[in-house]
Amino acid sequence: MKEQKSDEVSRRAFLRGAAGVALFATSGCEKVEDWLGMGPEEGPVEPPSGEGLDLISHVVNRVTFGSTPSEYARVKAMAETQREAVATYLEEQLAPEEIEDKRAHRAVRRLEAIHAPLGEMYEYKEAFLLEQLTRATLIRATRSKRQLFEIMAHFWSDHFNIDISKKECRWLKAADDREVIRKHAMGNFSDLVRASALSPAMLWYLDGRENRKRDEDEKPNENYGRELLELHTLGVGGGYTQQDVMEVARCLTGWTVRGKDRFFKGKVEFDAKAHDDGAKLVLGHEIVAGGGAKDLEEVLEIVCGHPATARHVARKLCLRFIADEPSEESVDEVAKAFSASGGDIGTILRAVFATGEFLDGARGQKLKRPFEFIVSALRGTRAEVSSEMDLVDYLVRMGHAPFQYPTPDGYPDVASPWTGTLLWRWHFAIALSRNEVSKKIKVDEAQLIEKAGGIAGLASCLLGRVPSDQEKAAMARSGEPLALLLASPGFQWR
Amino acid sequence: MAMKGTGIISGNGDEQRTLVVVFLRGGADGLTLVPPVGNREYYKVRPTLSVPENEILKLGEANCGLNPAFSGLHQIYRDGGLTVVQAVGSNDDTRSHFYAQDLMEHGGQIAGGWLGRFLRYREGSPPSALSAIALGKAMPEVLRGAPAATVMESMDTFTLGSGSGSTAVLQKELGALYGLEETILGPAARDTLEALGRVEKLRRDDLPPMNGADYGDDAFSRGLRQTARLVRAKVGLEAVSLDLDGWDSHFAQATLIKPLMTRLSDGLSAFHRDLGGLMENVTVVVMTEFGRRVAENSSFGTDHGRGGTMFVMGGSERGNVLGEVPELETGILVGPGDVPVVTDYREVLKPILLRHGAGKSMAEIFPEA
Repeated sequence: MKEQKSDEVSRRAFLRGAAGVALFATSGCEKVEDWLGMGPEEGPVEPPSGEGLDLISHVVNRVTFGSTPSEYARVKAMAETQREAVATYLEEQLAPEEIEDKRAHRAVRRLEAIHAPLGEMYEYKEAFLLEQLTRATLIRATRSKRQLFEIMAHFWSDHFNIDISKKECRWLKAADDREVIRKHAMGNFSDLVRASALSPAMLWYLDGRENRKRDEDEKPNENYGRELLELHTLGVGGGYTQQDVMEVARCLTGWTVRGKDRFFKGKVEFDAKAHDDGAKLVLGHEIVAGGGAKDLEEVLEIVCGHPATARHVARKLCLRFIADEPSEESVDEVAKAFSASGGDIGTILRAVFATGEFLDGARGQKLKRPFEFIVSALRGTRAEVSSEMDLVDYLVRMGHAPFQYPTPDGYPDVASPWTGTLLWRWHFAIALSRNEVSKKIKVDEAQLIEKAGGIAGLASCLLGRVPSDQEKAAMARSGEPLALLLASPGFQWR
Repeated sequence: MAMKGTGIISGNGDEQRTLVVVFLRGGADGLTLVPPVGNREYYKVRPTLSVPENEILKLGEANCGLNPAFSGLHQIYRDGGLTVVQAVGSNDDTRSHFYAQDLMEHGGQIAGGWLGRFLRYREGSPPSALSAIALGKAMPEVLRGAPAATVMESMDTFTLGSGSGSTAVLQKELGALYGLEETILGPAARDTLEALGRVEKLRRDDLPPMNGADYGDDAFSRGLRQTARLVRAKVGLEAVSLDLDGWDSHFAQATLIKPLMTRLSDGLSAFHRDLGGLMENVTVVVMTEFGRRVAENSSFGTDHGRGGTMFVMGGSERGNVLGEVPELETGILVGPGDVPVVTDYREVLKPILLRHGAGKSMAEIFPEA
């Protein structure tokens, strides 16, 4: 684990002291672990009893970072039938603000750097910011009860990918995560695109800050304009031309962000003198001359409302929640909901969850990406994690550390690029079950087995179904059922 | 039903080429590593730090030669296995170690490292678990963004055990379960188990280096020895990164970098000898963030400069000298008196990456170049 250096020390020590005082003040009513957001959450355990993944296990698999021992029972108790229970559960997850989430919230609140106002982020060392952001991401994915929200935050982090290692993204990505991705993760797509277009980190990452036309000879920088069309909105084959890319870039000239060597570092501003104020033609829409900063609004309205955008985002969501190769029917249905709702993300997700393919199609055939594998193992074993950074080594080995994907297309969401990661999945499974990942990550295998009513029960909780005869036999022979289960093929899929 | 090892690792296994990137951190002095031949100005501005003309190891007709500490590398050059690149570097002109290293490892003002992007976007099947390793304690920037990369100090890391106890039984049972797997994880598991088996055999046998190669006991040589063993074991190793630190010779340069030069040359010579004919599939690139000021400073050292030196060993190298040491006259030098960057380091790397299977992905690997 990396340690922060010099300049943050005093600030951190001060905050830690302050937290200590607050702790005493509340210690009468809550356990310390509760207050810090540590420790496993308890609830009645009921292992799933289906031979294959039943509807509850399937839905929990797809909309969370993995089931916990008690999640199945909690969802099942929501209604008489599995269909109704799942419907209720999805509505719960679609309204994250209604879900009490104190423990995760508190655990993240202690990471002060990522909560700092934009300009103050530069006061921290880059490595320290990355560490805090990574920890927050792991804590939320593991412990938040707003699981669908967290899944969507990951989804948009890939969709609007920013690699934190580029230029001043080192300081600004944490703000992008907070003000763009998380703020709009379940809001409206257009708001999300607009926030991203004006995100200081995005202006650095895709060179928007260099996009200017101050005189006849200067050529706009097309980088952001191209990715806006190709990745963020219309998608490859979405019907735009190179001419459209150039016209979009012209519309966005003049938007820039102040660098760290200036006052108000990180501030986004519009420099009218660097804006190309001529008339433009974007995807067949005329943008009249003299629009200035308003050109951006017009461009965003055109691209966000384009039918290709609805299909592109719909396809990616189907890829996330349904299958590596979703049917055209599902994509159509979801795209329709996108257009009809004007990009309301909750409505779009409801359409995904209402497709026949989601409810009754193939189950357990989306490969967990490494981050999902690790978090699902922690959730499934109720691991106590007091040092998230001890997990990062594994994520790096498997090429899936948060905010470290180099190109703008984001981590791939299909199985094939991830098949080379088995060695480290097995390594992690064995280390976790033996309590050898680090001293600060603890799993109690005996207690897990006891609560699940035996080894077969634990297997059912982790796999979301009753283990096969081969799985049972392998567990028995291995002498280390938990390690074997976590490393087994069944646990790699969701 | 346990899986039987077929003895072949599919896709990128047995025919894999390996690229070894050696980074000389601190800014190695090109004019000492590869001193100019017959250049009067050199002796004028380097009164204490120049290499006497009669000690320079000649590189054919080139206007530069190798430092006498590089006798091992010189032999490889004469055998046609080493290319020397002069006046090479990046467009960084901050002369800051951090920025220059970062830029060179990222391959431009872009996110992620060029070696990481190479592994992610090169043609062919996805990389295996053992496709990339960084020998040392931390992941270098050059490998950032790789689809699989492991930091290790020795190959002991390559086991399933993380500490206590054997994993043999687990491994066997996993082999049985994955043997039933009809998805793409089935063959992936078979490859993984095969690679693990090969590493375990390697560790068990602990064979000495081949062809009489004699490695030193320094960390750099140990890293190269591990690399050679993994190349020989055919575990799908595609990229290796290792560092040789300490080249920032502002003060008493001669005593500071002579042992480093010896270590570099001896280590690479042992590696070259050890792998023998296998060097056909291995390329070693030696690079540094910048060269140093032409004129020596008042404390028998040199300050940060621009153009420096690269070496390329193995693969298809045929013993070349690329670029020339420019005249060291004031008009030619850049900034406060530095060797100009005549060749962009990416131009040296591109043909190597193509040979290693980059295919059409060069635009992803070096989008700016």
